[in-house]
Amino acid sequence: MIWKEKYKIGVPEIDGQHEELFARVTTFVQTLRSDKPWEDKVAKVNETLEFMKDYVVTHFQDEEAYQAEIGYPYLEKHREVHNNMVAYVAAVSEEYEKEGYKEELMQQFGGRLLAWLINHVVAEDQKIAEYARSKEVTQ
Amino acid sequence: MSKDLLAPFSNAASQTFKLMLDLDVTTDMVETSESLHDNKEKIGIVIEITGDLAGEVMYSFPKDTTLEMVKIMSGMEFSEIDEFVKSALGEIANIISGNAMTGLSQNQLSCDIRPPQIVESREGANTEGCSIQRAKVKTAIGDVELNLRTGS
Repeated sequence: MIWKEKYKIGVPEIDGQHEELFARVTTFVQTLRSDKPWEDKVAKVNETLEFMKDYVVTHFQDEEAYQAEIGYPYLEKHREVHNNMVAYVAAVSEEYEKEGYKEELMQQFGGRLLAWLINHVVAEDQKIAEYARSKEVTQ
Repeated sequence: MSKDLLAPFSNAASQTFKLMLDLDVTTDMVETSESLHDNKEKIGIVIEITGDLAGEVMYSFPKDTTLEMVKIMSGMEFSEIDEFVKSALGEIANIISGNAMTGLSQNQLSCDIRPPQIVESREGANTEGCSIQRAKVKTAIGDVELNLRTGS
């Protein structure tokens, strides 16, 4: 995943978190896709998954707080999108543990996460930036 | 009327490819009788639509196009259609369809979508009594076909 300047929304804290998320998901995908046997990479995959479970929640909360601060009119809809993603990550994580850390589920999770994150940052989060610019509340 | 129903999907595909993949897109509407078959290996994603417009939309991605799309997103090389690639493709189809629902709502049609299903082949699918509209979304990395099937 390549972080691009155009992904920035103009809020340093949120932009920093997005960049960190991109870096972590990149590490996750690189580990997932490496040629090593699953047994050799499962520990690193699990470590990154655990980090993301917490970090995603923190980031979503910070982003929602910013939306509330600027009076973003689509906050509730955006919160619902965040909540659905958190629920998906939690459900996958639970199933993954229950079935004994099998590779197939993580490959499916990685593919969806990759596409979801890019779209969320380039499409959904940019609407926040557009609104902030229109209200001239960008820092 | 029929073209109006497909337009929200082709517009959403165009917008999504531009934003996510930096790809410029042109769209051709295709006559239902016209064959879209060629010899390319393809991956189909079907998304069921519920509500005012009950039916399904199927996206047909050539294998090479699919692999290039995942490469653009990840910055990594992919050579096979595996679980990772299919899941990423399913999410893209999900995103396009979700955006198309917003377009349909502007036409006073209230609809929802079900999770994407990967299909290997649609041969023999029962289309009796259905209306089918088709479009070809053209990009620099290949053409994606859209098939919208709605109840009669």
